[in-house]
Amino acid sequence: MPLLRMRSASFRLGSWSVAPVTLDVEPGELAARTFASAREAAVVALMAAGIVKASSGCVLIGDFDPRVQSVHCKRIAGFVPHEPVGLEERDFAAYVAYRAALWNVEARLAFERASALRTALGDMHEAFALPLIGALLAGPELIVLDRPMPAYAERILRVAGGKAVLSTHTNVAAARAFRRRDALRATPA
Amino acid sequence: MTPRALTALVAARLYEQRRLVLYACAAALVVGLLQPREAGGPVMFCSFLGILMALAQSPGRYPHLDRCEQSAPLFGRELARAKALIPCVAAALATTIYAAAASVRGAPDAVLMLPIALAAVVAATLTALSATLRLRGSRAFYVLLAAAASAIAYVLAVPAHSPLAEFGFCAIASFLALRQYGEALARYDPI
Repeated sequence: MPLLRMRSASFRLGSWSVAPVTLDVEPGELAARTFASAREAAVVALMAAGIVKASSGCVLIGDFDPRVQSVHCKRIAGFVPHEPVGLEERDFAAYVAYRAALWNVEARLAFERASALRTALGDMHEAFALPLIGALLAGPELIVLDRPMPAYAERILRVAGGKAVLSTHTNVAAARAFRRRDALRATPA
Repeated sequence: MTPRALTALVAARLYEQRRLVLYACAAALVVGLLQPREAGGPVMFCSFLGILMALAQSPGRYPHLDRCEQSAPLFGRELARAKALIPCVAAALATTIYAAAASVRGAPDAVLMLPIALAAVVAATLTALSATLRLRGSRAFYVLLAAAASAIAYVLAVPAHSPLAEFGFCAIASFLALRQYGEALARYDPI
């Protein structure tokens, strides 16, 4: 059963709209989609994470409809925004505690996970690492990345482990970097 | 929503807005010392501060907090209650400082002034919160509605000499405003 199903899902804002999107993401699958504009890519990622509701068509996240059961959807999908977080390394503990409280993850467990993820991400800039760590803290089944940086593709896919990943992009080369299965195979046990 | 999540959400926002809260409290202290005797002072001035604090919750001012809150597994009404608490705490703090300053300057009815002002401030702040999710005309409408709620509360409490009527009005206005904000937040698409 697909973890994410989008059927002709579209979003309309005034005269502007996202072209209907149809896609399935199976558990453990790496899906990367390219869109014509950054705005379109961002909106599709937000719809796939259950944050924005589709104006028409259907989106199901683990069989839950974000229009009705958005809380269930947000427990399944972890969203990583495109914009870097304006926090520094010294804010790490406060950020982890904040995210853990919102997702109701035990504080000690959250710090252990966050520290392990920070180590695994290596020299990835904290502005990009923190949102990813935050999204992974609650152990989502689906990770939705809004226009992630292709330079970090290997590290992101490594820490994602065997989870399903959907990334949205505005160029084909970036999308290709996030479809590489060899990065997943390199995951330590 | 767990108390832990509520505390974390409120604390994170208040921390980000600490300068704004500090300026509001300082302004309340100064005005409280200069204008200690008139009940219209705390009601109108602190309502104004409450409206400003409410508008500071507009999406986009703290994008990383916005994204975390939007992607967290919380119902719209839960998020609304938590977000409503932030400007109310800040405005209540400023009002208390105003009343304390007025009391220091020898205002005779500073003790009664505090609950009257607090009720008006909370009603105005919660009404103004709905403006944060709207644009242009409807945003201005909610700000005017918040000012009107504060003015009505003042008229009931001071010229009409009926603090109980003011409390009743403010309780109803606050309840309706919070409900409206919760519904607007649940429908809001952060694009």
